[in-house]
Amino acid sequence: MARIVVDPVTRIEGHLRIEAQVDGGMVSDAWSSGTMFRGIELILRGRDPREAWIWAQRICGVCTMVHALASVSAVEDALSIEVPDNARLIRNIIAATQTIQDHVIHFYHLHALDWVDVVSSLKADPAATSKLAQSISDWPLSSTQYFKGVQDRIRTLAESKQLSLFGAGYWGHPAYHLPPEANLMAVAHYLEALTFQREFIRIHAVLGGKNPHLQTFLVGGMATAMDPNEPGATINPERMDFLVQVAKSAQPFVSQVYIPDVLAIAGFYRDWFGRGEGLGNFMSYGGYPQGSVHDYAAYFLPRGIILNRDLSKVYPVDPGNITEYVAHSWYQYSRGNQVGLNPYEGETNPKYTGPKPPYEFLEVDQKYSWLKAPRYDNKAIEVGPLARLLVAYASGQPDVKALIDTTLAKLNSPPAALFSTLGRVAARALETQLLADRLVGWLEQLRNNMATGKLSIFNGEKWDPSSWPQTARGFGFFEAPRGSLGHWVEIENQAIKNYQAVVPSTWNAGPRDPSGQRGAYEAALIKTPIAEPERPLEILRTVHSFDPCLACAVHVVDARGRPIPVLKQEDEAVRFLGGSERSETTK
Amino acid sequence: MIDSLSSDTVVVGVGNTILSDDGVGVHAARLLQSDARVPAGVTILDGGTLGLDLVPYVSDASRILFLDAVNSGSAPGTRVRMTGKGLLGLSGGWSVHQLGVANLIAVLALASTKPQDIVVLGVQPAITDWGTSLTSAVEASLPQLVEAALAQLRQWQESAHDGLPLAKSPCTP
Repeated sequence: MARIVVDPVTRIEGHLRIEAQVDGGMVSDAWSSGTMFRGIELILRGRDPREAWIWAQRICGVCTMVHALASVSAVEDALSIEVPDNARLIRNIIAATQTIQDHVIHFYHLHALDWVDVVSSLKADPAATSKLAQSISDWPLSSTQYFKGVQDRIRTLAESKQLSLFGAGYWGHPAYHLPPEANLMAVAHYLEALTFQREFIRIHAVLGGKNPHLQTFLVGGMATAMDPNEPGATINPERMDFLVQVAKSAQPFVSQVYIPDVLAIAGFYRDWFGRGEGLGNFMSYGGYPQGSVHDYAAYFLPRGIILNRDLSKVYPVDPGNITEYVAHSWYQYSRGNQVGLNPYEGETNPKYTGPKPPYEFLEVDQKYSWLKAPRYDNKAIEVGPLARLLVAYASGQPDVKALIDTTLAKLNSPPAALFSTLGRVAARALETQLLADRLVGWLEQLRNNMATGKLSIFNGEKWDPSSWPQTARGFGFFEAPRGSLGHWVEIENQAIKNYQAVVPSTWNAGPRDPSGQRGAYEAALIKTPIAEPERPLEILRTVHSFDPCLACAVHVVDARGRPIPVLKQEDEAVRFLGGSERSETTK
Repeated sequence: MIDSLSSDTVVVGVGNTILSDDGVGVHAARLLQSDARVPAGVTILDGGTLGLDLVPYVSDASRILFLDAVNSGSAPGTRVRMTGKGLLGLSGGWSVHQLGVANLIAVLALASTKPQDIVVLGVQPAITDWGTSLTSAVEASLPQLVEAALAQLRQWQESAHDGLPLAKSPCTP
């Protein structure tokens, strides 16, 4: 028996530590610890709610727009503001662009290396790689010459000992199963994904005003000039042509590169459709309104909850049922640490009681994380692309249903296969395709509105604070790439009184609650086979499948260098952590 | 015609402005954005903590200057300069908290089609907890960081081929 520590988990945004108990070559228990302290309300209290989004978008290092959107939505909810149709469309377009871009980066640059052995690609035969690529896709970059060029680049890097560029890969690990040719193809696509991203994100550059942080959000709409006769307007016919052209570039990349790669990799790792299952409870706040923001039934990706893997029933979401616990988190609540607080009543009083660094292990039967433990109706819930698609599938959303059924048929697998590590990977790819297809439609609607003279983009009825009630509170939500994001704002006398954010990775990476229910990562790691405890590749596969983002985010560069990941093992003679004896070994 | 996102010389302020000294690079970039001494054609970016998402903004540049909070284990406000192969040798190991500048530089080395001259100018932070202002030691070094950035830009300008000014390539709207 051994305790494995992965700290920090690499190739993620933010700082995450996983401790896993390994018993007979398999994970028997796991603890997830976010080691960053959040507390956005400390920054926002007392500020004008109309400017909250400018600060909120810095909560997350990488998906800044998702917090901006959740923040303006929360204030609009508090003040009962309906945004004009053009603002809704632009928000959908910006959000879909972000999600497509994030999913592509996540798969190729953060997650693929858990499945792809870069070093093995040096042994590939470029001609055989070309044949393989052409057998699975019509993508034009597939010649022998092309793959030889990519291989030469990798060889140059390998010879100069710079393959660490790919970030702490466990090259040669026995759990890698792809043939060298598939590895080479995947590395080529790793590079192509960078080129794709570079062009595709120009949608944000046009609609966001300033780069790279979008500056056009506005409580009540968007601060984007829209005028068919004004060459200087952000949105005019020429710009619409450009946006549509860039948006259309996503479809071939996703359908001819990303999806075939996921299917090809999945074919070599079929075991992982049966691993990493996790909680079996899924939630989506709903994403991409098609009409009023309050018409949840008409969202492109519907709102709902699935419990116990039962796809025959979708439960409604009532944000009032969300509570956060701190029994295992380094905070204290004024009413005691066993209660759960709805975010409207949320408190962030940090109190670190963990071991003094440097330490070997966290005190996992006490407090062990800076993340709170959010629960819905006291149930632990998984959020993210898989949750969104399962809710949509179970709700009968026709696009989602058709795409999932076709994909499962190709994989010769039942829907239950989706409750897995690879299920998350596949869901993320399929969602990318759904959004790439939809994105052009939203742009066409915007173009149509402009052509028919519907130019309203901002509802200023409640802009003046004197029009606000003395107190108001609102819930803003957004299905961010990584899952359900909620912002809760309380306004009093025209200023922010309290502000709380519950981010996707808090749902997924959070610790146990007072009743001992595991968080989503912790549950998903149970029964993960571990071939080599000193190189826990399998743990990374499942954790990365959630797309962890804990970038709340200090990112200070450390010039002194640090080992990654820090791996520690301890055998049972030193410290026995199983069952009843655990209490005897902790203070 | 929509212009390229990237110009030939890019200054990227990196950091989180709601985490006190962590945001020193962004504060410096904002000062440079309104500094008339910046040579024409240089793009100044508030890069936040976007990591790999910054690739589109820097991949076509031949010179990239990062301004950042750098933990060198020295007194708060101490400035450091890192450049050349030293940056690559450290890749992955010195960005402790997330996919940061180190990973970005590493990916550029792999993906870029031309050699890139990359310089990191850093300041040792004192506090990186929640807060929107810099501590006094770091605040005091901010003007020096700006001057060091300007000196770097001047040096690049003087060494530019045949003494011509840097190619002008304005940023998108």
